Amino acid sequence: MSEAGHPNGSSPSTRTFRVYRYKRGDPGWRFDGFEVPVGARTTVLEALRWIQLHRDRTLALRHSCLHASCGTCGMQVNGREVLACVTPADTLGSTITVEPLANIPVLTDLVVDMRQLFERFPDEIGTVRTSDALAQASPPDGIETYERFEDCIECGLCLSACPVSATSDAYVGPAALAAAQRLLEEPRGVDPERVLDWADDPHGAWQCHAAFECTEACPSSVRPAERIMALRGALAGGRRTVATVMPA
Amino acid sequence: MTRSAPRASRDAPHVLIVGGGGTGGALAHDLTLRGIRVTLVERGEFTSGTTGRHHGLLHSGARYAVNDRESAIECIEENAILRAICPGSFEENDGLFVALTDEDMEYYADFVEGCKACGIPIEELTPQEALRMEPQLNPELKAAVRVPDATMDAMRMPLRFFATAKHGGATLYNFMEVLDLVVEGGAVTGATVRDQVTGSEGDLHADLVVNATGPWSEKIARMAGVDVPISPSPGVMLALYGRLCNMVINRMHRSGDGDIVVPQRALSVVGTSSWTVEDPDELDVPEDHVTRMRAEGAKLIPAVAQAGFRAAWSAARPLIGSREADSGRELSRTFKTIDHADDGVEGFVTITGGKATTLRGMAELCGDVISRKLGVDRPSTTRTVTTLPHTAFYAKTERRLA
Amino acid sequence: MSGQELPGTERRDDVGPVLRKGVGIPASGWFDPRGRALGGFAFAVNRVTGLGLVVYLYLHLAVLSMLLRGESAWSGFLRLATNWLFLSLDVLLIFGILYHGLNGIRVALVGSGVVPDRQKALWWALGVIGTITLAFSALHIYGSR
Repeated sequence: MSEAGHPNGSSPSTRTFRVYRYKRGDPGWRFDGFEVPVGARTTVLEALRWIQLHRDRTLALRHSCLHASCGTCGMQVNGREVLACVTPADTLGSTITVEPLANIPVLTDLVVDMRQLFERFPDEIGTVRTSDALAQASPPDGIETYERFEDCIECGLCLSACPVSATSDAYVGPAALAAAQRLLEEPRGVDPERVLDWADDPHGAWQCHAAFECTEACPSSVRPAERIMALRGALAGGRRTVATVMPA
Repeated sequence: MTRSAPRASRDAPHVLIVGGGGTGGALAHDLTLRGIRVTLVERGEFTSGTTGRHHGLLHSGARYAVNDRESAIECIEENAILRAICPGSFEENDGLFVALTDEDMEYYADFVEGCKACGIPIEELTPQEALRMEPQLNPELKAAVRVPDATMDAMRMPLRFFATAKHGGATLYNFMEVLDLVVEGGAVTGATVRDQVTGSEGDLHADLVVNATGPWSEKIARMAGVDVPISPSPGVMLALYGRLCNMVINRMHRSGDGDIVVPQRALSVVGTSSWTVEDPDELDVPEDHVTRMRAEGAKLIPAVAQAGFRAAWSAARPLIGSREADSGRELSRTFKTIDHADDGVEGFVTITGGKATTLRGMAELCGDVISRKLGVDRPSTTRTVTTLPHTAFYAKTERRLA
Repeated sequence: MSGQELPGTERRDDVGPVLRKGVGIPASGWFDPRGRALGGFAFAVNRVTGLGLVVYLYLHLAVLSMLLRGESAWSGFLRLATNWLFLSLDVLLIFGILYHGLNGIRVALVGSGVVPDRQKALWWALGVIGTITLAFSALHIYGSR
């Protein structure tokens, strides 16, 4: 991704977008082709919005923050899990294939049913955590420690990239297990034993096959695979110690 | 702990809300608690218009304390209410207003006085004190004032209102586009919609239709033959890699470009510019605005100049006023409920203007207007009802009440 | 529920189709080479070598059963077993054993939380050991001819 002053900044070229289409009640899915003008800075999301506005208003897709903070625009682009809002279209070739995330049921077109992702999480996932940035800073009076949101943006990219989830819907998947490990690292009032009991399951931490594709796919530095490994370490080590996984 | 109001009875009045942004979601919540039946339709995903795209600032109101005190007072009131009813949805690290130049220092006295007049609690800091709190600040700063700003998740905080409304019995449809309004005998009685999930089209009828489409509200109002004075006023924001601060860092001056840095997870968001457009769907991201964000932001936090680029995007504010206003900065950030009965069209109300920080307050006042029109005699209770966490929005039941 | 429903909206609550990666049949979803990284390939090769070793186990039992059919059958097999092609299959077998074994050590070290975030370094380190061992084995096998 580039910003101002990109050497190829001006002249747009035309790309063919092959977009997965499916409406409830359709007998099956299909690909629709669209010719879209793409500049050096055009993101896949901008290209799909262009299709919505100028070619086909019925194309459904999710987006919200446009800067990789909300996690709604996860999809497969040329078979790779990405957030469309921060994926430049320019470098993806002349034909760009866009599909919804794998391993999560499709609601329509590029929209997956996120209820199926959230059902997997442990009940007490945290949202706000202690901030580890700028450790040398001393917070003002009245603020004990600076806090920040958890990195996980619940986008589902890891679940789509996971080769184990590809053949087993029973596996809770990387996002949920990473959230559990975060609870062990910083319990915030939650009983760690409950979290470990939840993870200590054939379809929990033990079903991971250590392909690390979740970590590769994660757009928010959660490092789910390393967290699953640390979770296993806690389970294997008699639940005595929990390793803390540092950001990449 | 939250308990929703008893579900609306079958013969309760029915309101159709058009627009699934923060305003629509908060209004659905407000009306549901009053026992009104609510259906909400949004053409895309919820919060996909303006709501989800803002920089994530929970305003203390200090930004408006000099020029727009009405907005400032709204902000500080809602700031406290939202922290109470949306626990866990904010990084409660406060904010700093930082003076860098002699010109900024001339603004200082007005700023402090304005904050005090609006009831915004502040703490005046020396440069050394400010640098201890935020070591990455420009060391040349002349003074700083601490204010109760906070960072919110621009999608997940509003989603709590959707979640609470949904589990209270409201029907919320995303991917449901309004094609036209149904107008019968001088009154709006519903909307013709297309369900983008199933492809089916049809009419949804209601006793009252609310236009909560923010910068799109003029487009929707025109379907009923009335006018809404709205200026879609986009701003460019820039997300950079690295959490360069924990508090919200504002420039102490009159609103200007690139005068705020908001930390968001492991990113830092620099905002924002301002201009006005005709069509809020056609927003570009001018290169020179992106360059300016970085240059101005680097004055507050020098590391902004080198931080890695993550994204640049535009969002359209729904400012009340004519499009003649050049940059949009002159327009108030307050909100307005318009009962179009005054324009000769019954059953149609527009709620617009405002900002994410005031979504609940907007919904309360709009809810009052709607209740009066529908003869519902129940006051708003949203000030004290704790909203469900955002995860409950996706849950089939209310089981996640953390 | 409040309000009236549009025909068909109840279909939103059905569970929709699930897209799977791979070559078109759901069972192949565990490997899709598009955009995969080191860990994904390491996992896929591990699975393939694992399947290969299972096949070899049965092959091995079948070969050993030749002994039941007398000395001449076994001698015939030995002649076949010392040609270049067959020896190359032996090298492939050694590769499979080495890869699966060494990767098993890597996954065990990573997966037991000993070094949860060093999978790539371990892959390369064990890869060097494996390559050297394989080279020695190959020299020995081809030299035995």
